[in-house]
Amino acid sequence: MSTYILMRILESIPSRYDRGIRILTLGKLDEVYDRLTSHIKKGQRVLDVGCGTGALALRAAKKGAKVKGIDINSRMLEIAERKAKELNLNENTEFIEMGVAELGEEKDESYDVVMSGLCFSELSDDELEFTLKEIRRILRNGGMLLVADEVVPESNVKRIVSWIVRFPFVLIAYILTQTTTKPVRNLKEKIERAGFKIELARWNKLGNFVEILARKAEQEGKYG
Amino acid sequence: MAKKAKPEKAKKGISKIYDFGYLRYIFINIIETLLRMFPLLCKTGLIKIGNPDRTSPVFLTCNYHLTVERVKRALRGMDCYLLVANSRGINVWCASTGGHLTNHDVISVLKTSGIEDLVDHRNVILPQLAATGVESKVIKEKTGWNVIWGPVYSEDIPAFIENKLKKTPEMREVKFPLLQRIEMAIAWAFPISILSALIMIPLWPEMIFPTAFTIWSLSFFIFLTFPLYSRWLSSEGRRIGFIFFDFGKGGFQLILWGIVMLCLIIYSLLAGLTLEFVLRWAVLSFIIVLILSMDLMGSTPLYKSGLHKDRFLEVFLDVERCRGVALCEQVCPRNCYRVNRELHTTTIVRAEKCVRCGACIVQCPFDALYFKSPEDEIITPEIVRRFKLNLMGKRVIKIE
Repeated sequence: MSTYILMRILESIPSRYDRGIRILTLGKLDEVYDRLTSHIKKGQRVLDVGCGTGALALRAAKKGAKVKGIDINSRMLEIAERKAKELNLNENTEFIEMGVAELGEEKDESYDVVMSGLCFSELSDDELEFTLKEIRRILRNGGMLLVADEVVPESNVKRIVSWIVRFPFVLIAYILTQTTTKPVRNLKEKIERAGFKIELARWNKLGNFVEILARKAEQEGKYG
Repeated sequence: MAKKAKPEKAKKGISKIYDFGYLRYIFINIIETLLRMFPLLCKTGLIKIGNPDRTSPVFLTCNYHLTVERVKRALRGMDCYLLVANSRGINVWCASTGGHLTNHDVISVLKTSGIEDLVDHRNVILPQLAATGVESKVIKEKTGWNVIWGPVYSEDIPAFIENKLKKTPEMREVKFPLLQRIEMAIAWAFPISILSALIMIPLWPEMIFPTAFTIWSLSFFIFLTFPLYSRWLSSEGRRIGFIFFDFGKGGFQLILWGIVMLCLIIYSLLAGLTLEFVLRWAVLSFIIVLILSMDLMGSTPLYKSGLHKDRFLEVFLDVERCRGVALCEQVCPRNCYRVNRELHTTTIVRAEKCVRCGACIVQCPFDALYFKSPEDEIITPEIVRRFKLNLMGKRVIKIE
């Protein structure tokens, strides 16, 4: 009968997603997101790529920004919309079911800020390259890119330590929520190569989680 | 040039004798059949097969590792591109019906793999079974790519290409031949025997192998004899589990098991046997009862799982809306539809074969098809497209 229990858990992925991610990131995520959105100013046009249940998008909206959140999971978006309504932020927020591959629909230089929390780690290399190129296109000159995501630590020692520390959490999160993430390799370099200038990069102690503030650089990225 | 060609030829000669590729393929098939019940993912993106050019066909499949291996095998000798879309390591049919292979995943691989720079045409061949989750209309709107529904089985791809991308009715239909039945028998037996071995280690180590043997024989027996009893099965009523026992119908097998256990206890009391003896037999027989009463309908491509409420639904055709474009005929894995191409009319000629996969409803461009429940509740195409089935066979519509 254990399969029934597993199925019951599977039924409710979106509602458990927030909790699963929180376990995976040891509850530090709120702090990180608060710090990241502190760079956002009133009236800015903001795009949240992979907004999920709206953790970043709603923080930005609270600061008075006009936020559009995109995600491919319609049920997560419903939760985000409901939260926005509860916080009376539904005038400043818009949640749309859309994948990163559909960013082509957005106009050139139409955003002041693009942000993404724990989304890049769900993309393949091809998708990440495409996404960064598109983000650069839709950002205005000097526009900001804010990223918080799981990364593969740069030093070998930290990589091993991180794997060992992370493993039980990955297991618990997988058992409880069937969600897992794939840390990004060389995220900082990838963002630079796409034509951004890194202004701030802050790793956690283990070096497996990074917050990045980057600006759209004048010259084109190497991806062209 | 001649010098360079020589060692290559010699190398080819060796691999022809031993055919390492084939050995590797067999090895992968065996290992991954044992682990068939679990998702096994591989890299998404673009794979070049042979020496494709700007007019070569483009195929798309899911990122379940075994599927990709099999498709690659079927495409051997052709010059084409294969796109691997993210289905979270789940096979095409389950992933599409369960919402793990969606429009977004197909759009993503079309847009980000770089295929648009490599070919001049915009035709992509998708596996027919993806039609429950991927909407050709949306793909066309969002990317400009035309979706061509390919055959159900990758082994039919060469014939499909030769037939100028036209499917014969055989290519459209799911089958359950001996090889697939053996695969399913192994897929069930392996994890269950491992699990029961783990339970047996503290209880009764000597019985590990006899239990495993019982499980494997039962599993093979159930699947190999399938053609003998399949005529009595139906998605709504009789199920495989029911042939033996059925939990759903009043727990008959549990009652039987209880009676056997009672007899065992009385016998052991009279014969002065220990509690341990009773406990061991209780566990062993319970495992057997559990296997016999498992619902295996969903493991066949011919019936809907007995756990799924969807099995009671019926597909209805709104004749007013139908324009006879025959997309339903193209995607139905049971050949339920017949379309009259002159009159542009559709009839459901083999309704009793329907597996309620919903592919026809998802694809119909005029929303002419819908599900109806036994309570006369209408499930609109919009709901079928938007809310996919979870493992329990429910469309989760409201968020809790």
